Amino acid sequence: MLVCWTAVFAVVFATAGHAEDKGAVAKRDVQAKLAYCEVCHGVSAVGFRGYYPIPRLAGQQTEYLENQLQAFVERRRTNNIMFNVGHVLSPAMIASLAANFHDLNPKPLGGAPKDLVAGGKKIFEDGIPAADVPACSSCHGPDAKGNGAFPRLAGQLFDYVTSKLKNWDKERGQNPSQPDTSALMQPIAHKLNDAQIKAVAAYLSYLE
Amino acid sequence: MRAFPPLVLCAAILAAAYAGIGRAESMDAAAAGGLQAKISYCKDCHGPAAQGYRGYFPIPRLAGQQTEYLENQLRAFIEHRRTNNIMFNVAHTLSPAMIEGLAAHFRHLEPAPIGGAPRQLVAAGKKIFEDGVPDANIAACAACHGPDATGSGEIPRLAGQLYPYLIKTLTNWGRERGQNPTQPDISAVMSPVAHSLNKAQIEEVAAFVSYLK
Repeated sequence: MLVCWTAVFAVVFATAGHAEDKGAVAKRDVQAKLAYCEVCHGVSAVGFRGYYPIPRLAGQQTEYLENQLQAFVERRRTNNIMFNVGHVLSPAMIASLAANFHDLNPKPLGGAPKDLVAGGKKIFEDGIPAADVPACSSCHGPDAKGNGAFPRLAGQLFDYVTSKLKNWDKERGQNPSQPDTSALMQPIAHKLNDAQIKAVAAYLSYLE
Repeated sequence: MRAFPPLVLCAAILAAAYAGIGRAESMDAAAAGGLQAKISYCKDCHGPAAQGYRGYFPIPRLAGQQTEYLENQLRAFIEHRRTNNIMFNVAHTLSPAMIEGLAAHFRHLEPAPIGGAPRQLVAAGKKIFEDGVPDANIAACAACHGPDATGSGEIPRLAGQLYPYLIKTLTNWGRERGQNPTQPDISAVMSPVAHSLNKAQIEEVAAFVSYLK
């Protein structure tokens, strides 16, 4: 008898636990939130040129997306609009959104100067050894698809990548009590000059 | 009255057509006068400095507006993407060069906002504009319209826009914009936002932007 009750409790608790994981975020709520994200990030999260360049989220690494949403909330990454967006999201909602965006695969938005692409490809694949700039592909991958906390860059908006690389120090790693992986990119962003930033951003923006 | 013989009629049509071509080619001199006349015609309804005007309908401010937005809206009236009989008739006689000239003119006007919105709504409207309403999935207006509501390209300036015009436009978005199913346009971006805002929120955000310079 005792064994029997134990088994029943075990099943009940297992079910309750299961319901909490999945039930915390209803499919309807995720769909509504995705539609809200796409107001600014574009149809299929391809990115959008609003007042600011608003980044592509489609195909992005889930770990990177989750880390950035947390970074906005924890003020590691400064962006007032995204702070407000991020701080109402439950962990389960963040996980669902990240999984959804990861699975989208629209064509890049385009619009970058084509004449810069070849120079950018070289920087991406080889780096600039003379200036101690490592090859981007060594962390972001040969196709710029990223890996875990390293973001996908393929198809990202030209003007977004340009503004991030120029302002790295002022936007990332802003909470001294919580240093994060953005510190890795800091010296690289710092060493790239304007022309190199534009070249590599143009190359990435056309990658599918 | 006696009808024109066909040959004379043809000649008259050809003459008119060539005169038209000639005018188009030497646009500069004629256009300067034409543009000034057209600008003053616009200002009959949109106000002396295009700051907007409360006619029977609230008539929007055009001053300081983004040129791409103005050009796109004039085309939208013509293409029945945006339904407005008065503006259809205004727009469909405008040449592309005239549309460009008008848009460039209005872009550089900077009159003070016309005002008149309830002041007590401004603070709440500022919060919606800057932060959105994340719990209700309403995006921050500032993300696309800019922190000063000056707009960007096809995204309109809202600063100084008329309070009643904004309310009417946000309330009726689904019935006024993106009305030509064969030509979907950028107005679709705004559709879920306008739909999600309730009446009080629309009034608040309209009051806030109406006072921005």
